[in-house]
Amino acid sequence: MQTKNIRNFSIIAHIDHGKSTIADRLIEYTGTLSKREMEAQVLDQMDLERERGITIKAQAVRLDYVGKDGEMYQINLIDTPGHVDFTYEVSRSLAACEGALLVVDAAQGIEAQTLANVYLALENDLEIIPVINKIDLPSAEPEKVKQEIEDVIGLDTSDAVLASAKVGIGIEEILDAIVAKVPAPNGDAGAPLSALIFDSHFDAYKGVIAYVRVMDGAIKSGMKLKMIATNKEFEVTEVGCFRPALTNVTELGTGQVGFVAGSIKNVKDVRVGDTITDANRPVAKALPGYRGINPMVYCGLYPVDSSDYDNLKDALEKLQLNDASLLFEPETSIALGFGYRCGFLGLLHMDVIQERLEREYNLSLITTAPSVIYHVYKTNGEMIKIDNPSHLPPVTEIDHIDEPYVRATVIVPNDYVGAVMELSQEKRGEFKDMKYLDVNRVMVTYHVPLSEIIYDYFDRLKSSTRGYASLDYEITDYQTSKLVKLDILLNGDAVDALSVIVHKDKAAQRGRQLAEKLKGIIPQQMFEIPIQAAVGNKVIARETVRAMRKDVLAKCYGGDITRKRKLLEKQKEGKKRMKSVGSVEIPQEAFMAILKID
Amino acid sequence: MNLGLYIHIPFCQKKCFYCDFPSYANIENLQESYVTALRREIVAQGGLFSEYVVDTIYIGGGTPTVLTTELLKQIIDAVKKNFVISPDVEWTLEANPGTIDEKKLVTLFQSGVNRLSFGVQSFNGYLSKKIGRIHNEQQAIDAIHLAKRVGFQNISLDLMYGLPEQTIEDLKESIVKAVELEVQHISIYGLKVEEGTVFAKLQEKNKLALPSEEVDEAMYELVMYALPQAGYHRYEISNFARSGFESRHNLKYWENKPYLGLGAAAHSYLEPKRFSNVSKVKEYIERIAEEKSPREFCEELDGDVLIEEYCFLALRTKVGIDIEKFNAKFNRNFFDVYGHIIDSLKVKKLMQQDENHIYLTDLGMKYGNQVFCEFLLK
Repeated sequence: MQTKNIRNFSIIAHIDHGKSTIADRLIEYTGTLSKREMEAQVLDQMDLERERGITIKAQAVRLDYVGKDGEMYQINLIDTPGHVDFTYEVSRSLAACEGALLVVDAAQGIEAQTLANVYLALENDLEIIPVINKIDLPSAEPEKVKQEIEDVIGLDTSDAVLASAKVGIGIEEILDAIVAKVPAPNGDAGAPLSALIFDSHFDAYKGVIAYVRVMDGAIKSGMKLKMIATNKEFEVTEVGCFRPALTNVTELGTGQVGFVAGSIKNVKDVRVGDTITDANRPVAKALPGYRGINPMVYCGLYPVDSSDYDNLKDALEKLQLNDASLLFEPETSIALGFGYRCGFLGLLHMDVIQERLEREYNLSLITTAPSVIYHVYKTNGEMIKIDNPSHLPPVTEIDHIDEPYVRATVIVPNDYVGAVMELSQEKRGEFKDMKYLDVNRVMVTYHVPLSEIIYDYFDRLKSSTRGYASLDYEITDYQTSKLVKLDILLNGDAVDALSVIVHKDKAAQRGRQLAEKLKGIIPQQMFEIPIQAAVGNKVIARETVRAMRKDVLAKCYGGDITRKRKLLEKQKEGKKRMKSVGSVEIPQEAFMAILKID
Repeated sequence: MNLGLYIHIPFCQKKCFYCDFPSYANIENLQESYVTALRREIVAQGGLFSEYVVDTIYIGGGTPTVLTTELLKQIIDAVKKNFVISPDVEWTLEANPGTIDEKKLVTLFQSGVNRLSFGVQSFNGYLSKKIGRIHNEQQAIDAIHLAKRVGFQNISLDLMYGLPEQTIEDLKESIVKAVELEVQHISIYGLKVEEGTVFAKLQEKNKLALPSEEVDEAMYELVMYALPQAGYHRYEISNFARSGFESRHNLKYWENKPYLGLGAAAHSYLEPKRFSNVSKVKEYIERIAEEKSPREFCEELDGDVLIEEYCFLALRTKVGIDIEKFNAKFNRNFFDVYGHIIDSLKVKKLMQQDENHIYLTDLGMKYGNQVFCEFLLK
């Protein structure tokens, strides 16, 4: 395949705007998969992705298409996630492409997240093709949406494709637009190999499989390759493309997208963003990487059963292979024992990882409340970064604490602007800007502490705008805030895993809510359990779990022991889900209570 | 080898509001065919257990005494004819003070029944009515006097606490009356609202005025104090007896001894198997008539389950777990299996140990379930 007939593109869209359906139609239309082989949303391979209707992992597929000029084109689609947490995945997919489809729902218009990803694509110099999807909907207003794209993003929409992936309108037009507008890759086939790793996954038989975009040169089976950052060398055992199943080819030429495997056992040897080159004829310089990964949210993950510690480690390593944005390191909690401090891109990312660990690796986990990274300036002039509230130094050693702030962009119908502003003020937000996108849609920008965003901002935003608001945020700076550590004491002992850092003015309220909530979660035990919320030595809220008065099985009907046994098994099952902290047994949910207080 | 027999009579004149046992009102028309079926099961099983000596028999329910004297006699005769009965058998029959008369008691006594267990629940007429009992206070007292007159020297009665509207005073009065009646044995249970009962429905509608947890606990403490004071020692969590009058049949359930259940819904244990008959009366009758097995459920306990049950059942008794017996029976060292939990239960003051026994403390009895579930190994 000549380089001039190759097109590499990705799709940018908000959740539910139809990205996966468009991908499905393209695959179907080009005959890459027969109808029979199609499963709705073939690219969303994880069960979790299908269930939630979201894309988490970038996926790729090669399509063969005969263009209007009668020539055969090889089109590589690199699918991207649409959620705010997964910007990193988006950025690495974009780095492997020359163009992008901007898919916007004809009835909904642009959402905050779409905007962020479009800017990312523009930064990468990608050719952007606007696609107005779902034009079959009665509420579709394609002209209005086109205008919005022109006004907000500044893209020319005169050639925008009007489509309905659901009913199959506009699919050919999309393919033709890709052929006509997305530039062909401009690599040098004669130059030494340089290929960008944009993703990877681990296969139990083949080892690590690197997803690559060849920039210059070519990859052939049997070649000896080297990874520039990790300096690891390996021999190519398999090279191929995505159809969308892994399909071997003899070579991946300049501009092409595919995979390469070489019995690489250690997941850490293949770093996403690294450059692969020919070991015998290496390039001197690595390709420019892309936006680095910076986990913004940290939490502790602990196995309920401490013997699962090693299994948790294995599982995290495996997940990290497919998700370079996941960071983890061992930590110890007095309450929870041995576990891992994990860094995530956001709350959804955290949720997804936690769920995958439980589902795919069968682990039962306790998650502690998420925390941001605080910059703690000590009185001795030293600055330390804290992502675990229990590591906060004593108050006397703290001069002041800075916390991360984000620019939060909310797009919402104008009826709800009041609600968004009220919520944002309550969340210590500072108003920055408000812009009308059209007569009834408004983009509001606030400067808000990230800790408030990860606490319950998004949930409350959704509920106070009946689900109409979309949110995007990016970290802008650190600012000094009056922050204190709120401790929870059960039966007189502070439980480290329940500590949170909160704003001083909110400590009393949070303490009260938390104590009350814990009272509802912690079951009665043989003794009375005082629950105290304290800042320093000062108790600011107190509740009590009353003692269980007695717990004894009464009459046994005619020797029916089986029934008695079942009751005991049920009781034991409940106990198993608890963690003993000192003399108190705490259910798993308690550790998450801090996250959501309603 | 000794064997206990449990015979189930699934009939009641009226279902009590707290009761979720397999017993039914308004199916009197099935009584005769039930007894016919039961007798056939007795004949069939008797043949299979000819090597065993039956040393305890418990005819329970339901309300055995709702049956006519004639039907009761038929059952008793069938048992005597088909099983080898020990001369010192403990033969109990559950009786409702509202469904007995002199003739019935005399016949029972003469046929070999030597222990009566009266379901009294409360000597307060108002409360009795509130929980769905069919007898009043005076009937209960008269029934016990009558039983004594007929010749019964081993009488038990059941009491309950934690009943709707019950006060500590009510309970105290009931205990005093029971003691005054000089019965040999008292079983006392805290009310537990079970699914599917009248009480459960009332509770759902917020119409069940149960005593507070504190009052309920005070009632428990009263029972645990008053009965031993009056000479009834607590030989099992809910059972109190004058010395020598502990129910041998009841203890079989806790001591891992074999018992055979006959009749609808009756449960059996013949190590390592537990099994039970169908609980629907009609189905039981039909199965027997069609010469099919009345068994509905059967499980064979494997190694760990045997150990677990052995322990949590034994712990209900005052004596507790006999460590030497345990070690010999399971060919394992008790402390290898349970050492770690025993230590923590001792720290919590729930368990005690002497030379050869592990048993619950008074506190442990009060929180029995908390201890028992620790003995489940999985």
